[in-house]
Amino acid sequence: MKGLWKYIAPFAPDQSGAAAVLYGLGGIVVICDAGGCAGNICGFDEPRWFSGGKSAVFSAGLRDMDAILGRDDRLVAKLCDAAGQIEASFAAIVGTPVPSVIGTDYRALQRMAEKKLDIPVVSIDTTGMAVYDKGIEKAYMALLQAFAEPSVKAEKGTAGVLGALPLDLMRPGDMDTIRSTLLQQGWQHIQLYDCLDDFRQAGRAAVNFVISPAGLTAARYLRKSFGTAYAPAYFGLPLQFPDTSLFFRKKVLIVHQQGAAQALRKYIGQGQPEQVTAATWFMQPREWACDGDVVLREEDDFCRLADGGRFDVIVGDRYFKKALPHFTGTYLDFPHFAVSGRL
Amino acid sequence: MKEKKPYAITVRELMERGRTQIPAELISSSHLIYNSPAALAFNSPGAQGFGVKRAGLAIPGSVMLLVGPGCCGRNTTILSEMGGYSDRFFFYIMDETDIVTGRHLKKIPQAVEELVQSLPDCPSVVMICMTCVDALLGTDMERVCRKAAVRVKLPVVPCYMYALTREGRKPPMVDVRRAVYSLLEEQERHSRTVNLLGYFSPLRDTCELYDILHQAGLRQINEISRCRTFAEYQAMSAANFNLILNPEARLAARDMETRLHIPSIELTRLYQPDQIHRQYHAFAGALGTGIDDTVWYDAAQEAASHIKKTYGGMTVAIGEMQNGNAFEMAVALSGCGCAVTEIYANLSAQDFVYLRRLQEYSPDTRVYSNLSPSMLYYEGGGQAVDVTIGKDAAYYHADSVHVMWDEEVQPFGYDGIRELLRQIEAGLERRHG
Repeated sequence: MKGLWKYIAPFAPDQSGAAAVLYGLGGIVVICDAGGCAGNICGFDEPRWFSGGKSAVFSAGLRDMDAILGRDDRLVAKLCDAAGQIEASFAAIVGTPVPSVIGTDYRALQRMAEKKLDIPVVSIDTTGMAVYDKGIEKAYMALLQAFAEPSVKAEKGTAGVLGALPLDLMRPGDMDTIRSTLLQQGWQHIQLYDCLDDFRQAGRAAVNFVISPAGLTAARYLRKSFGTAYAPAYFGLPLQFPDTSLFFRKKVLIVHQQGAAQALRKYIGQGQPEQVTAATWFMQPREWACDGDVVLREEDDFCRLADGGRFDVIVGDRYFKKALPHFTGTYLDFPHFAVSGRL
Repeated sequence: MKEKKPYAITVRELMERGRTQIPAELISSSHLIYNSPAALAFNSPGAQGFGVKRAGLAIPGSVMLLVGPGCCGRNTTILSEMGGYSDRFFFYIMDETDIVTGRHLKKIPQAVEELVQSLPDCPSVVMICMTCVDALLGTDMERVCRKAAVRVKLPVVPCYMYALTREGRKPPMVDVRRAVYSLLEEQERHSRTVNLLGYFSPLRDTCELYDILHQAGLRQINEISRCRTFAEYQAMSAANFNLILNPEARLAARDMETRLHIPSIELTRLYQPDQIHRQYHAFAGALGTGIDDTVWYDAAQEAASHIKKTYGGMTVAIGEMQNGNAFEMAVALSGCGCAVTEIYANLSAQDFVYLRRLQEYSPDTRVYSNLSPSMLYYEGGGQAVDVTIGKDAAYYHADSVHVMWDEEVQPFGYDGIRELLRQIEAGLERRHG
């Protein structure tokens, strides 16, 4: 039945994706919610939150009368109070289902706040109904449009990396790995878009490496604005399984975000499989997909696709396996933080 | 230039201001709510212990269908895996069309049917967990549940995870307690049966309250968490009275009084032996009987004296992510010779009764709010402490001895204070060899 999920719990929502981009940029991040969304974002979808790095992430603490009466002025007043206590270079307002249902005008909210604050304000109209990659995409775009300085020129040794976030990359330490890998490749300056200056200097990159589809829209925007080229890249979990021969002449299904799926496809190809299909609940840009790849919408879509003998090997977060009681082939775990929250 | 300092106020200053002038920084509704690991229990109650989702599954054999946007069920991935609940949670994920047209309301009975048919064993009840979205839409979920119940021939009960109403008349954790007892039906009452209301886990087996109730002539003591079957749960409606151990169960008790004519008495969780003693005797008086708690009282006093003698003067920081009221616990530990330097907790007017006593012991104790935006700048309060109590206090003082005191099995009475002191001593012994 459409909408009913019996085996798989919901994935990281769009507001978690937006908050992940904003994390650690030095701004005041206000999750426009009653409390639970902010708790979920930090408590479950943001591993950096537990690793010591503090970030000014706040819940708006909306209450029923705020929503019923549309008391945006109260939210702005709270934001101004917080800005009076906290050193911040900007403020960001992140949407959730509550403002979405009451039809909050984020642009108006943003303008109201900007009038009272001496720092820039961005708003991101996430709804809690989309998944994390949509939120990442929106946050990148909001920040680039607000902060990227048009006069900045590209520099030859500078590389940008879009989509390098724990929701896709798994471990906070992977950011350091990306930096060192690119430095080893000869790049002199790396922009991971994990500080506000990277957004201001976005035009400086000679090329943007795009790790997940969530970064593609930003890459396209930077190509249009600055002429910056972009290319897909994979810097996630090591692609290691006991032996690639286990894929020999097998029908393989990969279930992951499409960037990881493409890298896995290449790796699995070494084992000479009969066929490799990628399926994803997340963005599947045409340029990153192959014929036969599948976009999943519902849990039932996945069960129909994979719960049976159609595939010999499935590679994906082990959390999906629960939905495949009739699958008798080999299931290889390849975690995805935005799915299972496993590091 | 910003001050970059967390807001704090001493107990003396709070008493000078009085209960009508609690500083705005200590009132969560007056400011943005800082989201740090120390505030997780506030923003996401289910992250530690019981939130609405897990609490709604307290009825034996129940399953839950969460109806809401995907984000509302997100933490369930981790919590249900951790708690072994993964086979009891199901989701109807709403999209924008559902919200605009309300079509999900027509689909819920079908979803419940499909869910029940897919289960190997028939559940005793299907709980429908609603979110802020339906609160704003004004959904009549009782009606939807009745339709679903007709379809599956099982009880279908709504429970409301309305974070928007957190500071209202029926906050989510209050109303879910009412919901989990709502299936009890009136039956003949047994004079020697009592229900303990308030927690979703049992009291510690060693808690003297069980013996005290036996002394008072009660033979059957019911707790929902100890009910293994739906029949055992239903037997709770035979109780002579309800004993409320957590104020969040008052609404449930009132509802049971109205529907089932079961009256209630309330006991407060305290850590001061003298107060526990007084409360037990007042309770016995209300029942028209007498009790002898000497043996437990003496043991608690002895434990307190031992700590005072051995570790008197140790510094303690107390948070609110633990099984107790931080202010009352501060009074109790001060009475055991501890120097309570810091408390991290929301303050309510009711807490002034404890502050008054705390002022006598420790007027300079600083009170912080975990939720204040200024806590971003908290860096140890300028002074290390020997022991922290609560997960939040442990977060602030990473190098101290930590007593989390957040176990699911609940401490209460003399047994609670003795165990708390035992854990403090064990922690200090581990640290100092």
